[in-house]
Amino acid sequence: MVEPMIKVRGLHKYFGPLHVIKGVDLDVMPSEVVVIIGPSGAGKSTFLRCLNFLEEPSAGTVEIDGVEIKAREPSREHRRHIQEIRQKAGMVFQQFNLFPHMTALGNIIEAPITVKKMPKEEAIAKAEELLEWVGLSDKRDEYPSRLSGGQQQRVAIARALAMEPKIMLFDEPTSALDPELIGEVVEVMERLAGEGMTMVVVTHEIHFARDVADRVILMDEGVWAETGPPDEFFTNPKEERTKQFLAHIL
Amino acid sequence: MRILCLLVAITAGLSLLYGVQYYAGGPLRLAVTSEVYDLALSPDGSLVAAGARDGKIHLWDITHDWMVHTLTGHTGPVSGVAFASSASTLFSAGYDGSIRLWDVSAALDASPTGSQAKRVIIASDRPLNDLALAANGSNLATIGEDGIVRVWDTKTGQVIQSIGPNESTKLAVALSPDGTLVAAGDGENIQIWDARTGEPFQRLEGYWEDEETKKDWMGHKKEVTALAFSPDGTYLASGSAEGTTLIWDVEKGKVAWKTRGHLATVSEVVFDASGKYLLSGGGDNMVRRWRVTGGKFAGIFKGHLGPVTSVAFGSDANTILSSGNDGSVRLWEAVNNQQLHLVWTKLGLMPIWGTVFAAWMLGSGLLGLLLTWGLWRVRTWGYLGALVLYIIGPLVTTVLPLLETTVYPITWGTRLSIGWPLVVSLIGYIVLVAYLRQDEVAITYQAPDATSLAEQLMAARRAQDVRHSLFIAATWVSIFILLFSALRRFGLDVAFMRKWLPFIMGGAGITMYVSAMAILLATVLALVGALGRLSKNPLANGISGFYVSLIRGTPLLVQIFIWFLALPQLGITLEAKTAGILALGVNYGAYMTEIFRAGIQAIGIGQYEAAQALGMSASQTFRRIVMPQAFRIVIPPIGNEFIAMMKDSALVSIITVQELTFRAQKIGRQNFRNLETFLIAAAFYWILTIVFQFFQGKLETYMARGERR
Repeated sequence: MVEPMIKVRGLHKYFGPLHVIKGVDLDVMPSEVVVIIGPSGAGKSTFLRCLNFLEEPSAGTVEIDGVEIKAREPSREHRRHIQEIRQKAGMVFQQFNLFPHMTALGNIIEAPITVKKMPKEEAIAKAEELLEWVGLSDKRDEYPSRLSGGQQQRVAIARALAMEPKIMLFDEPTSALDPELIGEVVEVMERLAGEGMTMVVVTHEIHFARDVADRVILMDEGVWAETGPPDEFFTNPKEERTKQFLAHIL
Repeated sequence: MRILCLLVAITAGLSLLYGVQYYAGGPLRLAVTSEVYDLALSPDGSLVAAGARDGKIHLWDITHDWMVHTLTGHTGPVSGVAFASSASTLFSAGYDGSIRLWDVSAALDASPTGSQAKRVIIASDRPLNDLALAANGSNLATIGEDGIVRVWDTKTGQVIQSIGPNESTKLAVALSPDGTLVAAGDGENIQIWDARTGEPFQRLEGYWEDEETKKDWMGHKKEVTALAFSPDGTYLASGSAEGTTLIWDVEKGKVAWKTRGHLATVSEVVFDASGKYLLSGGGDNMVRRWRVTGGKFAGIFKGHLGPVTSVAFGSDANTILSSGNDGSVRLWEAVNNQQLHLVWTKLGLMPIWGTVFAAWMLGSGLLGLLLTWGLWRVRTWGYLGALVLYIIGPLVTTVLPLLETTVYPITWGTRLSIGWPLVVSLIGYIVLVAYLRQDEVAITYQAPDATSLAEQLMAARRAQDVRHSLFIAATWVSIFILLFSALRRFGLDVAFMRKWLPFIMGGAGITMYVSAMAILLATVLALVGALGRLSKNPLANGISGFYVSLIRGTPLLVQIFIWFLALPQLGITLEAKTAGILALGVNYGAYMTEIFRAGIQAIGIGQYEAAQALGMSASQTFRRIVMPQAFRIVIPPIGNEFIAMMKDSALVSIITVQELTFRAQKIGRQNFRNLETFLIAAAFYWILTIVFQFFQGKLETYMARGERR
């Protein structure tokens, strides 16, 4: 029996009086690619951020690769677990959030050196490998401001991968990109999925969801509206809400 | 274009003509006034006689509203004048080697100009440098370039005694009141002879007061330039080129009292009738009054625009007369050092300006010819030359003589005769500026070749940029020259500045040390303070909030006093320098806290999230991600704080830290030369900030490397 890589139980999140996530469960198996879609304000990003505790969940448990954290139990242990989970879960942001004062290479080697205490030479060698993998070897010494949006997002992916995460969280990675730059980022994500990475992706890229995802989830008003394999989800949705949403975006 | 070239050519031609004419000694000798070389007051106190460079003796009748008469005859500058006891007879000596005797009362009755001498004695074929008349009027002594001291009988006009020649005896001569002794400078020593026999009587030489330790040199170190016997003949006062005045006991041959005040050559010394006071005039444009007994300073008279050449006590004890190289004779009130009256000799231009001016005119003429050619052939040349010629030139040459005319009484005719080349230059300048302001450079679009057009446009743009910066640079330079010249004109003493520069600059080290330490302290405090302000910990937040509020709410000056003067009351006594550093550091720390805080807050939440998502801890995030970015943001405002701090470090001078400002103030007050000393200090602060701004710019560029596009 293979244990799920991600196990979420009864997750709730409040922002003040606002109930954003209303008790959701999720199991993601190793190498599975889960795509969460949904209207804006549905709580997709918040859910994703709760997975690595950039947002502290209000209730429920999150377990990633065997590390389990219950919400709202601040303790030394709790904090250590958060650090552990963060190292296991790489995250890619909508706005890239590259460090502007560092070169592409500098961005990638920063965390391995400071967090993992990896020797600098090793970190550089690995970073160069990653840069080649995302197709940006020639941009090694460029500062982010001189890179296009697509190139920046690819560096951001390489930066996350440098920590050798077990899972990758993508928070609308293509939403801030010009249409012609989306392709290069999606291509990298597809290759990553092909190499067997466990991924949770919040996106509006229906093509990616249809072609790459193992499972598609529609999130609406803080709960899963519908879950299913992409073929079924897109061609034969069960729920009325899903039909409405798909009619909107397709 | 052709018209412009023509104009420039005309200007250049005129300038050249002007310059050549000056060097050829043409009619426009540039002297507004004729320098006065010696001054004498008649025994009854009614007449002032002044021997001038132009060979004339000016006679002013004090009792009749300073009515002026001139005595002409000398064919060279008049170096000495003296009234006989009868008051109607005046003796004069000049560079033409003659001694002349004038009947003053006849001269006053005759026409106001051009009275002739009653008697002319050709003493030497070389210039006579000084003339002395015995108080009883029996004899007269001269000293000249030939190094011979001659004693004359005033009645017969015959030489009684001729001593010398001696190469080092040239500048000053004095006769004792009874006419029995004659003294002359012999290099830095003084030789006294018996006036009748010519036998050496006494030699006054410098000596060490304390032979063993070689302390207190009693004597001159440079040549003697002025001599005078006291009314009773017991003392001899001497002044020398290094600025000291000594009062010798004639019998003993030793220095009785020593004075030090003038910063340049003492040109004349004179005792008053009672022998209690001594006057000296110096190359530092000052007249000083001394109490003979003890050699104590008793007054300073400031106003001459050039070296003081001669001084005299007035008919009563309350007035003093002086004359100078600026061509003026001034009457002063002895008690409160106020100037009572001022008269000028003939109008012309100052010779010193003449040199500068003529050199400029010659230079600009040559440059202008080059420029004419340059404008015709290659444009760049034209611009460069035009800038030099037409910005700096007219500013220096027009404005300065105009300033001059505000100081001297001068007619429009003279003004015009001085100013015509300048007016022409100025017109040329205006035309040129108007021309240069036509920014568009004509581009002939010949071939449909895009690259060539782009290149032409870029070249035009570059040329425009170069012109623009050249204009700015030229403006700066001309402002400097103008300021410096104007200050110079109003008596800025460069020699004094040079003398005290090392001492004042010695304070620069302390200024820099205090600033650097205070900056260091402020930075540390600001960093800690900013963290406190951003902290969620109420204690840290409260403390830093209190600190910022308290320090920003009280004047820096008060804080400095508290550190230095108030803390000792609590039993904490700080050294002045330490107190200064603490006061400045703590004060600027508070201001910089706010800057740091703003810088840190300017970093977006995304940066924190990205770092956290990578597993970085809070402190790692702060050190590696937030600080470097915040630092870049705060560099310009922090740089401004640093510059302000460097200047505010002057404030610690009030708590006796011997830094730049303190020293400038000290020397300035001691010598009544605040302008000079504070200019030095200001210049240093300025240079320091410019240098700092340069490095700040470099640092900013470096820190902004991620922002480069």
